[in-house]
Amino acid sequence: MKRRVSYWLCQILGWGAYSVVGVLMAAQYVGWLPSLVIGFALFFCYSIALTDLLRREIRRRPALSSPRGWSWLVLFLLPPALAAVQTFLVAAFNVALRQFESAAMRTRLPSIISRPADLLNTWTSITAADIVWLLLYLALTSTRRFQEKELRLQLSLREAELRALEAQMNPHFLFNSLNSIRALVLEDPQQAQDMITRLANILRYNLHRDMDHTVPLASEVEVVEDYLALEAMRLEERLRVRLEIDPAAARIPIPPMLLQSLVENAIKHGIAPRPDGGDLIISAKLAGDNLNLLVNNPGSIVEPARDSTKVGLANTRERLRILYGSRASLDLRNCDGGGVAAVVLLPKAL
Amino acid sequence: MRALLIDDERLARLELRRLLTSHPEVEIAGEARTGEEALALIAETDPDLLFLDIQMPGMTGLELLEKLEDVPQVIFTTAYDEYAIRAFEVNALDYLLKPIVPARLAAALARVRPRAERSRLEQVFVRDGERCWIVRLPEIFLLESEGNYTRVCFGAERPLIRRSLNALEEQLDPGMFFRAGRREIINLRWIEKVDMAVSGGLVVTLRGGRTVEMSRRQSTRLKEILSL
Repeated sequence: MKRRVSYWLCQILGWGAYSVVGVLMAAQYVGWLPSLVIGFALFFCYSIALTDLLRREIRRRPALSSPRGWSWLVLFLLPPALAAVQTFLVAAFNVALRQFESAAMRTRLPSIISRPADLLNTWTSITAADIVWLLLYLALTSTRRFQEKELRLQLSLREAELRALEAQMNPHFLFNSLNSIRALVLEDPQQAQDMITRLANILRYNLHRDMDHTVPLASEVEVVEDYLALEAMRLEERLRVRLEIDPAAARIPIPPMLLQSLVENAIKHGIAPRPDGGDLIISAKLAGDNLNLLVNNPGSIVEPARDSTKVGLANTRERLRILYGSRASLDLRNCDGGGVAAVVLLPKAL
Repeated sequence: MRALLIDDERLARLELRRLLTSHPEVEIAGEARTGEEALALIAETDPDLLFLDIQMPGMTGLELLEKLEDVPQVIFTTAYDEYAIRAFEVNALDYLLKPIVPARLAAALARVRPRAERSRLEQVFVRDGERCWIVRLPEIFLLESEGNYTRVCFGAERPLIRRSLNALEEQLDPGMFFRAGRREIINLRWIEKVDMAVSGGLVVTLRGGRTVEMSRRQSTRLKEILSL
């Protein structure tokens, strides 16, 4: 709405200024003829109408609204063409309006059609005005489009952040953990204390991390260990973990929650649904210039995967793409030796 | 009142067991870690009440209920299960959110009545797509045969259950339900009006407007029961 108002304001002010200057300049030579004033008033109206038509055409055609290559040429042929139409209208109205002037005036001032130099001047100056109009239009729309794109990007980042938070603050996990801790308080107070500390660590890691930055792999692994300890409290002998972290990889920066979300997925889909549980293997290795993260759990990929998981994976991929471009990858695949593996390849440096 | 604790987490069962110590009227007849174990234990102990976790490996709590012919009273325990809770919101069954608040447990137990007569069916579990109900039999006004399935009519709902009308009939209280015809069992307490049909049989109108026409033989029997 606001954009519409400012568009019409620009139209009226722009063409208004052009017409007023035109009328003032012409009046110096020929005096304040009614045909002159009415002619410029009409010019003001149809110029707005014609450029608005131009705008509609540009908006309708993607080749013109986001031009590249040859369409630039076509785009800049439009102002001279439009100016020709306007010049034709100026001449036509001039001829028509002259009928109402006095005969003396008509002989003193021949029609514009009989003065080719004036016609050419009119066309050039209108062409200039139309080019200015087009440049302004392109500049303003591209700024707006750029801002919108920026906004969309920010929005998708925030969304990814929110989803990761939601995934981590998985309420099912949180409340089940609290329930188990409540039972532990009497059964094993020391373990209960340990679990509360670990839960606090996870909560702090979640609240303080910044999605736009990275953390050393070692810090993420600490939180993953806290998380696994809490899950082990609930799943007990059903969860068997093998953690193989190459000490050389400990300092490699990774996006926060990357490993954590993969581990959580593995437990949710690979361990928790099985009455006998299973083995969870987490490994981090250096391979050349890359860090290779692997999370392996029993089972196989079921198609169609649950929507939430799909969204989760898509979000993780999107985050990797934003941070590393095409240098990072995430694959989920059925292993030859059984089970499902999530494999992430990251460059050692950002 | 005999209760079973069904939850895959040992600590969750332990916690519930401890909470139940302040309710001596509840006797814990056993614990089950999975739906399979629960099925065996229910057959063995015939409990009045189930404390049932919804999310369990292998078989969920809802799938377990679907496998039961005779559904005991159920109190669901769940940590956070928007989906499952929403499924039940329609008929506001009891569910307890973990960690369980002792006062809420007491309130839920206050609504549980021990079963009077063992041999009779008291409630059925019905699942229709995303929605679930545990329907108490007095609420059902009509059971209609649909091949091997039976349409259960209560309130505004008409879901199907995977049991034949004949199988159901054997378990129903003859004081409440009456086989009106080949396809229908009606709830006697829902009869609003009985008319004579042109054929000589009776036409029963149930509260809510549903009419059921009966054969001569069944009409005679109904007259006996209602001592018309």
